[in-house]
Amino acid sequence: MKIIKREDFKAFVNALIKDSGLDVEGVKAKGEKFAFGPLESADDLRLDYDVTLLPPKKYFLPQYEQLLKFDLSHPFSVDRPEYPRRKVVIGVHPYDIAAIRQMDSYFLDTDISANYLRRRKNTLIIGCDVMKVQEKAFFGSMGTGVMHSGYDLYLTDLGDRVAMEIGTEAGSDLLRYAKNIREASPVEVQKVKAMREAMAQKASRGLIVKPTGWHDLLEKNYESEVWKKQSDKCLGCGTCTLVCPTCFCYDIQDDLNLDLKTGERLRTWDGCLLRKFTEIGSGEVFRDDILDRYRHRFHRKGRYLPDRLGFVACVGCGRCASQCVPDIADPVNLINMLFEASPHLVQDSLSDPHTVRTDLQVIQTGDDAKMLHMPQAATIKRVEKLSAKETMFEITLDSGKTLGHTPGQFVEVSIMGMGEAPISVSSAPNGKSFEIVVRKVGDVTSKIHTMKAGDKVGIRGPFGRGFNVEGLKGRNILFIGGGIGIIPMRSFINYVLDHRKEYGEVTILYGCKEPCEMLFSKEVASWSKRDDIQHKRTVDKCPDGECWDGDLGVITTLIPKVKFDPKTTVAVVVGPPIMYKFVNRELLKLGVPEENIVVSLERRMKCGVGKCGHCQINGVYVCKEGPVFNYRDLKNLPEAFK
Amino acid sequence: MKPKVAIFDFASCEGCELQIVNLEEAIIDVAKLVDIVEFREAMKESSDDYDIAIVEGSIARPIDEERLKKIRAKAKILIALGACAHLGGVQRLGNRFSPDENKKEVYHMARPEDISDGNPYFKEPRHRALDEVVKVDYTIPGCPINRVEFAKVLVALLTGKKPPIPDYPVCVECKKKENTCLYTVGGVCMGPVARGGCDAICPTYGGECEACRGYVSHPHEKAQMDVLAKYGLTAEEIMNRKTMFTSRYTEKKGGE
Ligand SMILES: Cc1cc2nc3c(=O)[nH]c(=O)nc-3n(C[C@H](O)[C@H](O)[C@H](O)COP(=O)(O)OP(=O)(O)OC[C@H]3O[C@@H](n4cnc5c(N)ncnc54)[C@H](O)[C@@H]3O)c2cc1C
Ligand code: SF4
Ligand code: SF4
Ligand code: SF4
Ligand code: SF4
Ligand code: SF4
Ligand code: FES
Repeated sequence: MKIIKREDFKAFVNALIKDSGLDVEGVKAKGEKFAFGPLESADDLRLDYDVTLLPPKKYFLPQYEQLLKFDLSHPFSVDRPEYPRRKVVIGVHPYDIAAIRQMDSYFLDTDISANYLRRRKNTLIIGCDVMKVQEKAFFGSMGTGVMHSGYDLYLTDLGDRVAMEIGTEAGSDLLRYAKNIREASPVEVQKVKAMREAMAQKASRGLIVKPTGWHDLLEKNYESEVWKKQSDKCLGCGTCTLVCPTCFCYDIQDDLNLDLKTGERLRTWDGCLLRKFTEIGSGEVFRDDILDRYRHRFHRKGRYLPDRLGFVACVGCGRCASQCVPDIADPVNLINMLFEASPHLVQDSLSDPHTVRTDLQVIQTGDDAKMLHMPQAATIKRVEKLSAKETMFEITLDSGKTLGHTPGQFVEVSIMGMGEAPISVSSAPNGKSFEIVVRKVGDVTSKIHTMKAGDKVGIRGPFGRGFNVEGLKGRNILFIGGGIGIIPMRSFINYVLDHRKEYGEVTILYGCKEPCEMLFSKEVASWSKRDDIQHKRTVDKCPDGECWDGDLGVITTLIPKVKFDPKTTVAVVVGPPIMYKFVNRELLKLGVPEENIVVSLERRMKCGVGKCGHCQINGVYVCKEGPVFNYRDLKNLPEAFK
Repeated sequence: MKPKVAIFDFASCEGCELQIVNLEEAIIDVAKLVDIVEFREAMKESSDDYDIAIVEGSIARPIDEERLKKIRAKAKILIALGACAHLGGVQRLGNRFSPDENKKEVYHMARPEDISDGNPYFKEPRHRALDEVVKVDYTIPGCPINRVEFAKVLVALLTGKKPPIPDYPVCVECKKKENTCLYTVGGVCMGPVARGGCDAICPTYGGECEACRGYVSHPHEKAQMDVLAKYGLTAEEIMNRKTMFTSRYTEKKGGE
């Protein structure tokens, strides 16, 4: 531990500002509150602050961040953003350091985000002890009042002196700009230690259930009346997620300049309390009730992220508690209310609420991570209109590589200036190109409908988990497709038909509202001619003047009309949300075991790689663990078939 | 060929048109994209030949209604510009009183025969938003509008994209700007129910949001009113907050 006199510390900060070439950011007063911002002089630095309005997450996941830039005057011109400037952030409290380490686990674990990595690598952190505790803070209860790593330098204000602890080599290197530093005396070391220990005890606000027990408490009280009582007061304003250092969800938008040529794709903070967060093109909102949104936030913090990454995504900073106007966002109050509403023995189902990946120090080296949001160039080879709203596009990657997908997976199709849309791959994996079928609903899907052979699109993926084509070999398969559900299912159907001998009995049921909505009509007609499969098709109704050679009635009416052995057949069901309810019920009634029902689900998606948070069904990411699921794994998720 | 744009105004302060004039350098880029043919505020020529009509102001009198219907019949796309066109504007507050009461209040110096219903300029001044009279394709909200947003809507329109008008509350942008919430320093604010997109300009400068951009599509109105009451506002003060720009949502007749 080093000691530096207060004047020399100021000179050190001023030297950093003047000479280091780094952008120097620190805590400053903002009206009656505090905020991190660019430091012009050491005099502005306020290490006596209680809490900043926004956490330092804004340096690693900025409010608005360029993901890529594009230029439409070329067929496909997409560029990485500029490398972020090197920074040092002075005055980060231990709870915020804990939150940054959680962010590391989130963005640098699987699918490392290069945007995050670049900023993280280029930002030095100078931590400091909490000298004044904000009234709603409870980091003491969360065990984040003292951190022993996660910083480059760490400061403790001793009045006329400042104690500095060196965390990393890069931090030690910064001391080049400091004069008159000496080693701390044993008395000083002792004093700092005592201050820290006292701090760890402060900021405890009578949290009844320890963070290690939140998981169990939340799980057992999913249906508690507390959710309704509290969420009735909720404004749906999103504040509690936006100000939280451990909320990372984001939205992505394209911004085209007035020249109608250049533009950028931006990432911006989003939050699960906002209604639009789960809305999809058809207008369906998956968490429409504020109760569901309000509950989701706490469950994500106390259950879903702990299940996934091992930590409770709350560090007790108190920002949500102090900034929620109706005062319902405070985790301490909520946890206590849940417990008091139904006191029971809470199990410590987590061993440590702050497990983070410490091996992630690799971030100091290399930039080998992928730009997760950077699409590759691809060319439309063939366009075929299938119906009034659906068109098929055959696409090849300009790299010459095959897409390498499994049936059931999807790609993110990018049209610069418009945005991205998750679209299933509709062809079986054979040959260099792949096919997608797009229904015209909004910006991206309408634009692609105006495109022709030779035009360029961007492709990311393939993403998600597809059908278990290998594992199902030898099994009997019953395909049940409704509406545009046939699009992803077709990749599997065609795979099975291409490898017909490797599968048992195959039955294909396909239903639409009206004959004109039937897709792949030639292929469908050919199914009837084959004698190695059973096939039936139906429409809900056939308006006058249209001709129809199949059955009439909803898709469930086809099930009793075909022969299959419920015990040994695997049912593959893809269709609109409402269809699952009825079809699954029918299948279960016939004795099809739960684990033999396979479904593919649609949710709002943005990133496709398990980062943006939009596609979650409770704690499950549809873009990663799905879209293809086993019914058995979903049936206990209250949000799955709501 | 560049689309022809005409800008018209009805009952308004013309502040929104001024925002367009104030686009400064960007107006040159805008001029590269569209031909502006009718725009009293910025230039003199006028034309009856246009593709896009941008209309400012609320619709008060039968003669306004007629004129708006004519514009609608000509325009391929009709855009409502600003709070008056979108919501009926502040002047809509007058709908709470009878036309006669309003006339007495405002024109008490005038001779009664001049302001009687016989004079078409004074007949039936009930303020309505454009979409209560004709079909509106796009709306650019705000009092006044946000210039940046205007440019973005134009870009969206020309590229076939939905206009990027957010449907989240003002609080979202307010937080991203790291403002001190007015509620935490003794103030009140309509931000939690007001539609964002203005970059929370009022709270940024310490002023309370009055929801000049209207409400989000699903405002948590009850929770908002409870909050105002909790922060000590009287029923009348709450009513004022609720109706400044947004009386169209509460008005008995003609509201949404
Ligand atoms: C795994 C998966 C596979 C899909 N496969 C197909 C397919 O094969 N063919 C097809 O036509 N459609 C498919 N969809 C639906 C398709 O993604 C949406 O119709 C599309 O995103 C709408 O985008 P837009 O810009 O045209 O519409 P807009 O309404 O303008 O989109 C607004 C925003 O909402 C988001 N959004 C809207 N609808 C959805 C949605 N359903 N899912 C996720 N995000 C949405 C988009 O990201 C977009 O940014 C699939 C969706 C998912 C999740
Ligand atoms: S809990 Fe509070 S901060 Fe969060 S959305 Fe609801 S009102 Fe806003
Ligand atoms: S949930 Fe609230 S207290 Fe916990 S880290 Fe987030 S903002 Fe801070
Ligand atoms: S919307 Fe506001 S600024 Fe625009 S014209 Fe109406 S009153 Fe004036
Ligand atoms: S000042 Fe107004 S807009 Fe800003 S956060 Fe507070 S309530 Fe929301
Ligand atoms: S902050 Fe509120 S009143 Fe101010 S411009 Fe935005 S919506 Fe209008
Ligand atoms: S987490 Fe972003 S789409 Fe699944």
